[in-house]
Amino acid sequence: MSKSKNKLTTCYTSLECNSCKILKKRKFTDGDFVFFASENCSDCDGKMMIMKIFGVTMD
Amino acid sequence: MDFNLDEFFAWVGEDIDTLMMLIWILPVIIFVFYGQRIQLLISSNEIKKDIGKLEEYTASTKKDFLNYVKNNLTSKTDPSKKLDSFFDYFTIMPVDMDPNGIISKINHLVRSREDFIRLQINGMFSDLSSVELSKLQNLLEIVTTLQLFYKHTRHLYLTAKKQKNFPLILPLQMMIPFIMEEAVALKDAMPAIKNGQPIGDSIGPMIVGQMMLNTTKERAAFETVWSKTTFEDRDLFLLKAEGPNATVGRPGDGFEKIISNKKPDLVIMIDASLKLEGEDSASIAKGFGAAIGGIGTERFKIEEIATKKQIPILALVVKQSIHEAITLMTQEIADKANTVREELYQMIRENTTSGQTILVIGVGNTIGVSQ
Repeated sequence: MSKSKNKLTTCYTSLECNSCKILKKRKFTDGDFVFFASENCSDCDGKMMIMKIFGVTMD
Repeated sequence: MDFNLDEFFAWVGEDIDTLMMLIWILPVIIFVFYGQRIQLLISSNEIKKDIGKLEEYTASTKKDFLNYVKNNLTSKTDPSKKLDSFFDYFTIMPVDMDPNGIISKINHLVRSREDFIRLQINGMFSDLSSVELSKLQNLLEIVTTLQLFYKHTRHLYLTAKKQKNFPLILPLQMMIPFIMEEAVALKDAMPAIKNGQPIGDSIGPMIVGQMMLNTTKERAAFETVWSKTTFEDRDLFLLKAEGPNATVGRPGDGFEKIISNKKPDLVIMIDASLKLEGEDSASIAKGFGAAIGGIGTERFKIEEIATKKQIPILALVVKQSIHEAITLMTQEIADKANTVREELYQMIRENTTSGQTILVIGVGNTIGVSQ
């Protein structure tokens, strides 16, 4: 999380299962990078791959 | 002495012309002789505030950088002193009185500087991964650039003040909003670089990186990878910097290597591009020519090869501000990846026929984006 003046930016990681194509969004954790597949899908046996990492800024 | 208000106004009424003349003439005289100084005083006060901010940004990013190094890396000796000396490093650009061959000179100079810094940093820390090394190089570049901004702005300001030279402060007054915009962006880029998160400029490598998934990646040049795939009966050569390192790679050298393998019929470059005022962030634009920023050496190389081999170059860019380009990628930009990929496929369909080969280059810093 980074602060700039009165704005607060939170970084999110968006993941997609390579099998059931379910999408998930969670807060960014250290070691995340785009196209990295580390987590197992909670809905099937597939692997979740990071598709996007982005910041959302709130005033 | 008694002061009679009625008498005073009566006197004023008689000599109103003289008084009014004085009221009007005095400021004119003041402005004729001291106008420049007054203007210098007002302008310099504004500039002084911005110089104060630049000093603060330099100090805070420097502190941030040194704290990051101390908390995350294992050093053989205290790195602070050595890193401190890097902040003042400068580069003397080659003589341009005879511009013939200047590109290769600049290329040599820039690469020598990068190699030197990389070697020095690598020697300071044990077990430094390539990702961490590239992040350190980027962080160092941010601090050095901010320090350079601060020192040069302060120099111009102090020279103008010392010589009471108003015209000297005018170019600074014109340039300072642009300098400050870049300085704020650089300062705000620190967290994303430290955490290895993608920045707005990573959109090109992100699009090509996804196309590279499940293909065999080969080394094309230093910190640059390429792979082959197919699309609607066409061969696609994909080229990008090696992620998730914080690097732009060497696409010029990569292009040279690919061309020695097989000549592509078309080159498409995907990059982030600075938006013009009034343009929307994350809007997509198509055009002609090599879409690549930087000092110009990589663009020169790509243009030269393309001209020699008569290969057309098309560009696909995602518009963004300087702040968006070097700080954490916004959701707006990240969400455009699929649209840009669709535009790319459409571009390939419209400009090539089956059996042809297309080289797609994802240009930009590939921090936080693998392939």
